[in-house]
Amino acid sequence: MSQVMDEIEECVPALRRYARALTHDPDRADDLVQDSLERAIRKRGLWQPSGSVRSWVFRILLNVHRNELRRLRRAFTPVSLEALPGGEPAGLDVQPGRLALAETARAMQALPAEQREVLLLVAVEEMSYAEAAAVLSIPLGTLMSRLARARAALRHMTETGAPKLRAVK
Amino acid sequence: MSSEEHNITPHDLHAYADGLLDGPARAAVEAYLAQNPAAADEVEGWKRQNETLRALYGHVAAEPVPAHLNVYRVERESRIKAMRWSRMAAAAVILLGLGTAAGWYGRGSFAAGVPAQVALVDEAMEAHRVYSGEVAHPVEVWAGEKDHLQTWLSKRLARTLAVPDLKAAGLDLVGGRLLPAASGPAAQFMYEDDAGHRVTLYIIPAQEGRETSFRYASLDRLEAFFWTDETISCALVGDLPRARLQEIATQAYKQLG
Repeated sequence: MSQVMDEIEECVPALRRYARALTHDPDRADDLVQDSLERAIRKRGLWQPSGSVRSWVFRILLNVHRNELRRLRRAFTPVSLEALPGGEPAGLDVQPGRLALAETARAMQALPAEQREVLLLVAVEEMSYAEAAAVLSIPLGTLMSRLARARAALRHMTETGAPKLRAVK
Repeated sequence: MSSEEHNITPHDLHAYADGLLDGPARAAVEAYLAQNPAAADEVEGWKRQNETLRALYGHVAAEPVPAHLNVYRVERESRIKAMRWSRMAAAAVILLGLGTAAGWYGRGSFAAGVPAQVALVDEAMEAHRVYSGEVAHPVEVWAGEKDHLQTWLSKRLARTLAVPDLKAAGLDLVGGRLLPAASGPAAQFMYEDDAGHRVTLYIIPAQEGRETSFRYASLDRLEAFFWTDETISCALVGDLPRARLQEIATQAYKQLG
């Protein structure tokens, strides 16, 4: 039991990174991680040794995140991207290519959620396609087509400039 | 073109960009890209995207993990939370019984009203348990500084609070304190009778300004009367007979209203 706890603990830095990239909001991201940890700890007896603890806790985090988005969507009207403050999101301290980073950050927020979830698992969390598909509970083929669409959309948005960004529904 | 090159799929190109290929598979993609500048350009773009995304978000995993996200601490705290929930559920059962008896169950406000009231009673009872048995520091501000107590807590709750005088019910003011409630600041006034029985009055700013009549809850030998007027929600808690507590609550209600 405490071995599972230790393995969950090892995932926390990566969970924070993924949550931050999904939400672009440090406070909401850590709330999301905390909720996910609570749920994982409560359900750790249900964890199946057939998969990795990492893909299991990432799957929990995504479920918590999607539930929260559904709740927010009911409670608030979505804000268009144009209404968001410009510049890069908080927490960036990278000097070279600041503009490209800021542009990519904005483009990431404009991506459909399902494409953003896939691209971040592959590019930032560096998961294998099989593990990412397991986290998202989708077939490998679906994962690959979302990944290809995410990359094409991101490329299109960053190469044609920010004014062409469209608000996501 | 060799037959191997014909077999290069988009899957292979993505896997190559993501560094998931090695050995012959990797060499085959490299050979293909050398012959296909458009594909090479696209794959190069994907690799740049990966690098940009890692530059954007990678630093978060290197930050020290905040103490409240330590898994053992989360585990401890969710156990405490689960205990609070089971207590609140017990209080809710009592409230449900009351609501039904009062014919209040049919009203549309029932579902919305109950959780806030349950939280109020739960917090008030918990605060009573913690402080009523305290010998050295039952209050932050003693009755000798009643005017200061009244000004201070009125300011913190952003409501005009008149500390009720319950001498007619045989109770002397001990003092009061500021407490953190789920919804913000809360005030607690403590009273004591000749026999040393303590009664506490717990007050939070009213959430939706919907007035309610007196209601009653009982849990673990503690009794509580609670109500909401236009600006505040109150709960009077004590280990006293119900009729006596109701008499005290009525006096407090009149002076606070």
